[in-house]
Amino acid sequence: MAADKRATRLGVLALVGLVLLSLIGVRLWFLQTVQADELQERVTASKTRTVQLVPERGRIFDADGRVLADSERVLTVAVDYQLLRRKANRDEIFRRLSGWIDVPVEDMEARYQSGRYSPFLPMPLKEDVTEEVAAAILERSEDFPGVEILTESRRVYPYAPHAAHVIGYMGAITAEQEDDYRAQGYLSNERVGQFGVELAFEELLHGEWGRRVYEVDAANRPVRLLEEIPPISGYDIQLTIDLDMQQYVEQALETSLYDRRQQLAPNPEVEKPDGTRERMDPAQPEQVPFKAPAGSAVMMNYDTAEVVAMASYPTFDNRWFEAGLSGDKFKEIFPVTDDPDQSILVNRAAQGRYNLGSTFKPFVAYAALETGLLGPNDYHLDQGTYRMTTVDQDRCDAGLVRCVYKNAICSGTGRPCTYGYVNVNDALAVSSDTYFYRIGEEIFAANQGAPVLQDMVKLFGFGADTGIDLPYEFDGTVPDRELKKRYAELGIITEGEGRGYYSGDNVQLAIGQGLLSATPLQLANGYAAIANQGFLYRPQLVKAVFEPGVPDSDRIGFADLSQARVHQSFDRPELIRQIPFEPEIRLPIVAGLRRVTAPGGGQGLNSSLTGNYHRPTGENLFYDYPASAIPLAGKTGTAQGAGNYPWNDSSAFAAFSIDESRPYVMSAYLEKSGYGSQAAAPVVKCSFLAMSGLAPMDPVVPSDPLDLSSSEAAPDQRLADTSCFASRGGTGLGAAE
Amino acid sequence: MTFTLPGRRPDSGLGNLGSSPGDPARNVDWTLLVVQYALTVIGCFIIYSASRTRIDSDPYAFVTRQVVFAIVASVVMVFVMSVDYEWLKERARFLYGATLVLLALLVMVGLVTGQDRITFDLGPFNLQPAELAKFTTLLVLAAYLADERSDEVSYPRFVGGLLLVGAPTVLVIMQPDLGSASVLIAMAMGVLLVAGAKPKYIALISALSLVTVGAAFVGRFVNQYQIERLRVFLDQETTNPQLQDAVYQVRNSVRAVGTGGVWGQGWLQGPLTNGRDIPVMWADFPFAAVAEQFGLVGGAALLGLFGVALARIWRIAHLSRDLLGTYLCAGVFTMLLWQVFQNVGMTLGIMPVTGLPMPFISYGGSSLITYFAMFGLVQSVHMRRMR
Repeated sequence: MAADKRATRLGVLALVGLVLLSLIGVRLWFLQTVQADELQERVTASKTRTVQLVPERGRIFDADGRVLADSERVLTVAVDYQLLRRKANRDEIFRRLSGWIDVPVEDMEARYQSGRYSPFLPMPLKEDVTEEVAAAILERSEDFPGVEILTESRRVYPYAPHAAHVIGYMGAITAEQEDDYRAQGYLSNERVGQFGVELAFEELLHGEWGRRVYEVDAANRPVRLLEEIPPISGYDIQLTIDLDMQQYVEQALETSLYDRRQQLAPNPEVEKPDGTRERMDPAQPEQVPFKAPAGSAVMMNYDTAEVVAMASYPTFDNRWFEAGLSGDKFKEIFPVTDDPDQSILVNRAAQGRYNLGSTFKPFVAYAALETGLLGPNDYHLDQGTYRMTTVDQDRCDAGLVRCVYKNAICSGTGRPCTYGYVNVNDALAVSSDTYFYRIGEEIFAANQGAPVLQDMVKLFGFGADTGIDLPYEFDGTVPDRELKKRYAELGIITEGEGRGYYSGDNVQLAIGQGLLSATPLQLANGYAAIANQGFLYRPQLVKAVFEPGVPDSDRIGFADLSQARVHQSFDRPELIRQIPFEPEIRLPIVAGLRRVTAPGGGQGLNSSLTGNYHRPTGENLFYDYPASAIPLAGKTGTAQGAGNYPWNDSSAFAAFSIDESRPYVMSAYLEKSGYGSQAAAPVVKCSFLAMSGLAPMDPVVPSDPLDLSSSEAAPDQRLADTSCFASRGGTGLGAAE
Repeated sequence: MTFTLPGRRPDSGLGNLGSSPGDPARNVDWTLLVVQYALTVIGCFIIYSASRTRIDSDPYAFVTRQVVFAIVASVVMVFVMSVDYEWLKERARFLYGATLVLLALLVMVGLVTGQDRITFDLGPFNLQPAELAKFTTLLVLAAYLADERSDEVSYPRFVGGLLLVGAPTVLVIMQPDLGSASVLIAMAMGVLLVAGAKPKYIALISALSLVTVGAAFVGRFVNQYQIERLRVFLDQETTNPQLQDAVYQVRNSVRAVGTGGVWGQGWLQGPLTNGRDIPVMWADFPFAAVAEQFGLVGGAALLGLFGVALARIWRIAHLSRDLLGTYLCAGVFTMLLWQVFQNVGMTLGIMPVTGLPMPFISYGGSSLITYFAMFGLVQSVHMRRMR
């Protein structure tokens, strides 16, 4: 019957339905019970891989908002390292890429063989390719298996080499730094600040890493993105440096050094112990050219302690460190040398270890007046030589102790100058050494050898770092018993010399010689404390720290600081100490210093013994110094170098404004360049004229691209107008005194 | 044709002359109706759970539309229930012809624009003619076979039936929509089986459909992604980078099911459902959301509901007073069975991925309306079995 057959067929349909439903039922049961644990594990504990995202580094501005350091995007062609392990693959990839990225196959092979690259990261083959090349390679990705375009950022210094020592440079993390940076979360291939502000503010400039967390399958292939945290850019930093002034100081410094190299120092005949006369250095001719290899200068505001300019020569272009130089090329530009005259990568203004010579005398004068050893109107009879009074005469005669110290030679007489009666004001104006020799001996004797002179000058910051935000700052030394002992242990002085600290050492210290050492920055900061009536500040290099992303200004090369959000501001300088400085002590010192740099002449001293007129050391140089310029008080210094040969004299000068509305102080130190008035003083004078708006300044312009074929660390830069070097009786540049 | 609202209690009083045991309104299959609405409501919840994290602006975007679709579908169903299926049978040829025209139009639009077209974009609603084809082809095929009042399907009639089904199937393949084509073929096989086709006819259909699909692949009528899905199904561990998207879709779906375990992670607690791992989960992989959130218990319960629905349809096929009703029910039965099996099967990784939605559960208006209409047809058969 039909109905039966139909029922049978419907039964078949029902059976099919049952079978299919059972099939999925069983499969469901299987997945959700038997395999559930395994599958669930793959969900909860599925493997992840985290890719760190490097933030964009903060920028560095000058006081006006000029962008001194910026980051730019660089596209790098890189290849999956695993793919390169097989020689056949490597050859094929290199062969295909060679033409596109313009790198010979052999160079790429050499790179691979160098072992410099991590096997876990794509190996870079060519940095800084153009957008077009990158796009072309990406479009042909099937022809370039494993080839990636990495976006990296590179540091650019638009105004290099200006302020290179202050800004510093970046470099790869070194082996010694690796543990430290790793602990902070750095990636091994990141570049970090290695010098200057880049190093000092690495933490602020760097920013926070972002990350991408991928879920990966068993073969480590990314399955999906689990989490993405974008990186946070670093803070932007505004320096106190005024790049206009910075450029001028650099040019003035280099101009003066260049000038001094053209000058000759005498190699006079001297009497030998055996009575014969011969030249000081028989190996040298009658006149020896100055080497003038290096120097530095610092200009600060003594009210705010802001560093306006800080120059060091020889200088360098910090873009060399971003140019991907080969090791050989790098050594060519920055030769490894034991000669300190030639070291480039050192900021002499903060790292130089210098005798200060007579520039140190105001601090000794302070010590004498403050301790009551001398009054401001106590006179000392300067007879040209100083004979020590507290040493046993027999020991002097036996030659065991040096008991006689002389003034500098007066050019008119060829003998040590004799200034006659001098008080502290006169002694500073004409730089009477014997006045200070006496202080050195008497302050030692009056305190039974206690380091009172040391303690007094340390008030002005000597013997301790200033704490400026720059790496590798030199602490400086003020000689005392401990220092001599330590130096003897280190073999710097003989064991005999290191046995004790004697009055003779103090006599040397009193004129800034001996084991005293300080940086030009310390010198400027010490003078700042004289200028501002006793406030010793920590020098400021940073004006403000801004939240990330200060926009560019309409003016090319500038950031728009009006739109910046301040993260941290440094309006008030950090006071290291307030030095007791009564006007009756301070004013005679300032008056003496003022005579050194007073324009118009006639501020010198007629010797009460000989009647000769003795000029202050700056009289000729500052003779025509305009009345409208920042009025100065300063002090020259000449630090004797190896063999006491004249051509080894280093030239020092420090001066400050006595106009409190223009509160600037400056020091300059030019190595192996002659007297203080010859090399360092012109740099300071010119810079103050420029600061007063009375010397023409070159406009600051962004630099030309780095010339990669050059092997100079930095190109020459000199003043176009050198009229500020003029001094009375000379022709400006080249005038000897 | 008479129609009164089916909500009325039977024999509720004397003088109720419109009411008799044969009154269609008194013979609604309430079990089937309740199951159908239960599935639809569950579907709305599943759509919400699977889509709420995908659209940030409005987590209710999909489920709101689905509720609107369900209301429209209900109206369509009430209409289909209210008319005698004999009345529909008389209009089957017209409806079938209209469907063919729509399908052909779609293929032509596709050829002209050079894009694959599965829907007509009608503003707020995308019309999928392939869904319409399921209904009309079933109607025309059942009518055609029911005309031959015999236990066996004669060979000429078999060939005729084949042509009737073949025409829309080929057009659907050309869209290309292999999933919907497979539903049409399954329906044809089910109806022909019940109508008494010889086993060799069934074998012939199978062979023909395989050849057609093969030809579609060779003739490049299918999409790139359809080829990829098939390749992935054949090699689920493939490392071919072009296939990875498809691989992970399936792999994640299986993982979601496994994560559910026996009791499930709980409502809105499924990590993969909440994530973005399974593309278009609310339409293509709703069962993964069910299995992850409600586990084996929930999954089995849902399959059980489908089982009840199938059993009721099968029973109505049995009860039908005429061949047409039986055939219609057999067609709906096969389509529902096949589509559930195919969709759940691909979720569980035992069938290749096609875009076939899960009836009543998946998001999508065309599918929902089609199934409501077909269930209305089944109810219509049940309501008129006493006549």
